[in-house]
Amino acid sequence: MQKTYVVIPRNCTGCRTCELACSMAKGVDGVLGHPRINVFPTGENRYMQMTCFHCVEAACAKVCPADALVRNEQTRAIELDEERCIGCGLCEVACPFGHIHFDHVSGLPLKCDLCGGDPVCARFCPYNALEMR
Amino acid sequence: MSKMHIFINGKKLAAEEGETVLEVARRNGISIPTLCHHDALEPVGACRLCMVEITHADWKGWKGLVTSCLYPVEEGLEVLTDCDAVKRQRQTVLDLLMARCPDSEVIREMAEKHGEVTHYEPFDDGSKCIMCYLCVRACAKMGCSAISAVNRGTLKEIAPPFQTTPDACVGCGSCASICPTGHIEADDSRTSRKIWGRSFQFVACEDCGAPVVTEAHRDHSIARDGLAEDYYNRCAACKKKSLIGRFDKVGT
Repeated sequence: MQKTYVVIPRNCTGCRTCELACSMAKGVDGVLGHPRINVFPTGENRYMQMTCFHCVEAACAKVCPADALVRNEQTRAIELDEERCIGCGLCEVACPFGHIHFDHVSGLPLKCDLCGGDPVCARFCPYNALEMR
Repeated sequence: MSKMHIFINGKKLAAEEGETVLEVARRNGISIPTLCHHDALEPVGACRLCMVEITHADWKGWKGLVTSCLYPVEEGLEVLTDCDAVKRQRQTVLDLLMARCPDSEVIREMAEKHGEVTHYEPFDDGSKCIMCYLCVRACAKMGCSAISAVNRGTLKEIAPPFQTTPDACVGCGSCASICPTGHIEADDSRTSRKIWGRSFQFVACEDCGAPVVTEAHRDHSIARDGLAEDYYNRCAACKKKSLIGRFDKVGT
C-alpha cells in the first residue's frame, strides 16, 4: 500500500525539530539548507506545520516552461529536475501556498521532495506530528 | 519507438530511436564534458566540447568526430569518448576558450582538469561569453526571444535586437541564471532589476515589501499561464503565513 505523508497539527509542540532535520538533510557541503518545512504558532500551545502539498494539479508544475517540476510516480511527490531548470523563478510565484523558495545564489528553486519516500522530518518528529502512513 | 543497441567505449548499451549519443552516455554514467548542453533546451552543438569519435562495423573502417549532443543513435553505432583524437579535439576547444575568456573560472577549472594551457594571447576585453546560446534558448523557452547573437566572426556577441534596450524582455533573469560562465548578470536591488540595459520594477510583497517578480514578468505570466493576479502580490514566506489560519481549522 502506498504510504501518504500526513501532517497532524494537534500533536505539534512547536519544537521545530522538523525544520532542523530538513535543513540538515538538505544542506550541502556542511552548510545548512533552507528548510522545506516551517512551523508557525497559531494560538496558545497551538502550532501548524506548513510544507508542500504535492498538489494533484500543481500550479508550479503547470507554469514551469522547462517541465523541470515533475511528479515522481513512486512517491507521488512533485520533484525538481535540476538539470532541466532554467531558473526563471515562476514556480515560487505560482505556488499559492508559498511552499517553494527560489534560491538566487544557486538559481534553483528549493522544494520538498519527500526525501525520495522517507521524509527526514517525519523520522525526527518526536511527537508523531508528521508521519508516513 | 524502436529499441536498439550502441557501443560506448566497448560497452553494449540499450538506446531508443531518436535519442542522442550524449543522452545514452549520461544515462549510463559515462561522463562527456559539455558547456552548452541543457536537458530542457534543444541542443545546438555550440561549444564543441562533447565531441566523440564514431564508427560502425558496416562503415568499412570510416570513422569521424561528431558532437554527441546532436548525433542520433543508430543500431550498432560504436562510440569512443576518450580516445586520443577526442582528447586532442577537447584540448583545442579549451585552448581557444581559455584565450577567449581568460577571466572565466568555469573555463579555467575545466581546462585544468583536462590539462590544457592556452597557446594564444588571451583577449583582455573582460568578456566571459563563450557563445553557448544557453541564454538565447532559455529566453525563447520563456516565450520572449528578446536576445540573440548579433554580428559575425570576432565581433559576434549576444545582444538584444539592434543592441538597444529590448522591448520583448520581461526581466525574468533566466538568462543570468543559466549562463554557465556568469557573463550575464542581473543587477538586483530591493525595488528593481537592471538587465540588458533596461530597468524593471519589482512587484513588492503586500505584507513585507520584499521583491516578488518583475512587473513585466507578472504580466507575461498572467497572459501565458492564466494565473490570477493575486498570486503575484505576496512573497512565498508571507503567503505561507497568511494561510496558516485557514489550515489551522483543518486537523483539529
